[in-house]
Amino acid sequence: MKLYDVCIIGSGAAGGVMAKELSEGGAKVILLEAGQEVDPSQFLSHKWPYQLPYRGLRGEKQALFYPKDIAPVRYEHCDPVGVDRIRVLGGRTLHWNAVTLRYAARDFRQGLLDGVDEDWPLSYAELEPYYDRIEQIIGVCGNDDHLEILPGGKHYLPPLPWRCSEHILGRTLKKLGIPLIDVRKALNTRPYDNRPPCHYCGHCMDGCDAAAIFTTPDCMLPKARATGNFTLRTNAIAREIRADREGQARAVSFVDRLTKKEEEVRARIFVVCCATVESARLLLNSRSPQHPAGLGNSNGVIGRYLHGHLGGGMHIYLAELEGVKPFNQDGATDHTYIPRYNQLFGKADYAGGWGIQVNFASYMFPYQAHDMAGYGPAFKERVRKMQPGFLFFGSFGKILARPDNYVTVDPNQVDEYGIPVPVVRFRFGRNDYALWRALKQSMLEIASNLKGTSFPHFGNSPGGFGSHEVGTIRMGKNPKTSALNSFCQSRDVKNLFVTDGSCFTASSEKNPTLTILALSLRAADYIKEQRRRGEL
Amino acid sequence: MKRRTAIKVVALSTLSSIPAAGQGFRVLGVAWDAGEYRLRFFTGQENELLDKLMEMIIPADAHSPGAQEARVSLFADLMVATSGDHVKEQWRKGLRLMREEAARSSLAGALAKAAAGEKRKPSSDLERFFTALKGMTVDGYYTSAIGIHQDLQYQGNTYLASFPGCQFPKLAD
Ligand SMILES: Cc1cc2nc3c(=O)[nH]c(=O)nc-3n(C[C@H](O)[C@H](O)[C@H](O)COP(=O)(O)OP(=O)(O)OC[C@H]3O[C@@H](n4cnc5c(N)ncnc54)[C@H](O)[C@@H]3O)c2cc1C
Ligand code: SF4
Repeated sequence: MKLYDVCIIGSGAAGGVMAKELSEGGAKVILLEAGQEVDPSQFLSHKWPYQLPYRGLRGEKQALFYPKDIAPVRYEHCDPVGVDRIRVLGGRTLHWNAVTLRYAARDFRQGLLDGVDEDWPLSYAELEPYYDRIEQIIGVCGNDDHLEILPGGKHYLPPLPWRCSEHILGRTLKKLGIPLIDVRKALNTRPYDNRPPCHYCGHCMDGCDAAAIFTTPDCMLPKARATGNFTLRTNAIAREIRADREGQARAVSFVDRLTKKEEEVRARIFVVCCATVESARLLLNSRSPQHPAGLGNSNGVIGRYLHGHLGGGMHIYLAELEGVKPFNQDGATDHTYIPRYNQLFGKADYAGGWGIQVNFASYMFPYQAHDMAGYGPAFKERVRKMQPGFLFFGSFGKILARPDNYVTVDPNQVDEYGIPVPVVRFRFGRNDYALWRALKQSMLEIASNLKGTSFPHFGNSPGGFGSHEVGTIRMGKNPKTSALNSFCQSRDVKNLFVTDGSCFTASSEKNPTLTILALSLRAADYIKEQRRRGEL
Repeated sequence: MKRRTAIKVVALSTLSSIPAAGQGFRVLGVAWDAGEYRLRFFTGQENELLDKLMEMIIPADAHSPGAQEARVSLFADLMVATSGDHVKEQWRKGLRLMREEAARSSLAGALAKAAAGEKRKPSSDLERFFTALKGMTVDGYYTSAIGIHQDLQYQGNTYLASFPGCQFPKLAD
């Protein structure tokens, strides 16, 4: 049987950059991806609602990315959170919103500075060169805004022009002492990386049919393929990673979704990139006499510290734009961003903060028609007149990483391939509640300073995770409370790496993917170096 | 939070939203603009009543046609027909309550009575039915060609060479 240098499992953000880097570095790489390849011509992005069976209200546009055979999750003793598990070549990069934010220096040191969470085993300075490199590989529009809370790079594509609503918001925020900046998105505002510029259709989260946004299939895989070192197996669901007598990873067994046959791939190094829930599931399902609690889990940490983002949204209809002739506001979803600001206003009784994404909801649907009381001719006219003034806030707030929030597996409940399903247990803590209340109050205050009508959507308690789940196979300084070192390498199993969001020690309010990409890039460099030295 | 909000915000607050994104999708070949649609759940009589109620919620006016011309009751039929028993039961019962109430006063009176709960928490089956009825009317109308193009005159879902930014000099900085 062929022995590959490296087997990567999962082709999302983390797996894509790993595959490109290691193939380019001369390693013979195989990438196993559970999902199918979806050609952009199959995307339903530009379809009108009335061309879809349920008008798009039942997720028809994303259905290709979420096939029915994804194992069910069992939520046990859980607050209202949902974990996102996709199954398609490219993972969630296929329909992400591409907001790319660097963690700040202080985000890596929240134990020391805020007395919550643990410090990361690496600093901003150590990750900064990788942020610089990854931003250039994927192409990011925006600016260096010279903010301590949101460090910037030097190589941005031109920012997106602001809509009228964003100008109005910017003026109001200025009075409140809150910055509004050009959003940073992995999106082409001019041709870049042999990919065309954006055509401003607002469909990023339905799949970009133009390759104007960063995705693994459009940006990373062509480069991996060009090396001749790269093999891709789609529809390959990893079941377990098998260990040799010394306890090192030896092979991965997988089931082919199409033939239902069991197969095995052997490699010298394994890189797990299945995303937070599925990566933990895979390692916990990989039990052997050497690893009775799961591969690399001698300290029982794997699966623990599950967290993500909490938040809430707000629909605002600005008076200044009421009744104007409708005009095309789609753009590329968000064009601006409100970076974390609570630290500017003194000390709070909770740790952490939130950022607010602006205008990533579709301009096509009048959400106010659901929020407003009334019916009949006056109602209809009011809905119509309000629509051009639409402004949307979506906030993402920090959740603390706590060991009693976890993913585990249940050997007694298996999916249709006989693989034990994930079980999720999650409760918000005191800090999370306090932060959520402050976030809510602050967003209401911003809205009250804008002329218009606002409809807050916070629910009665915090919810999560905004597709930003992280933390289940964390890196750390302390070997008792972490599974990986700062290069995403397992402490127990030298030839096992985990580079998706599960490797996060703790979170900030920032969207995680740029940091996932930077960490994966750094781990790839480390693997190359260790191979050169004959250590791996 | 409502499902029709951007998928991501929804994922923040409901357990079921993400699984729903991948499930429940079957191509039914429904052409909403044209074509014959055969009722799957409502009886002809129920559909007639629903059609009237929906047109009262979003009526035709000088600006654009209303829910009737947009065939929103047929959209409701498909949605309810493909929902669980609990939902089906709510609609059947809700329309019956509306009919009974209309017999006592008028259809306009029945709708006004049902809508009374909107500003507080709905407290009767009739009031709870109004929430479902209005929600369905809004969803169906504003996702129809009439709602999107004629009423809202939505200008997007296009391919632009560049994005112009704010075109109102008074509002731009
Ligand atoms: C609508 C939406 C908008 C988003 N917007 C943003 C944003 O603006 N900014 C941001 O930072 N993040 C955003 N995200 C989140 C972002 O997409 C994820 O953080 C990122 O894709 C995670 O990358 P990953 O490699 O860890 O996992 P994923 O992208 O989830 O990829 C995991 C891959 O592993 C595969 N896999 C899983 N299990 C197995 C198995 N057993 N065997 C083989 N393969 C397997 C899956 O099929 C999948 O392809 C968004 C997500 C969504 C859904
Ligand atoms: S807005 Fe731009 S990046 Fe987003 S889907 Fe449309 S073309 Fe692609």
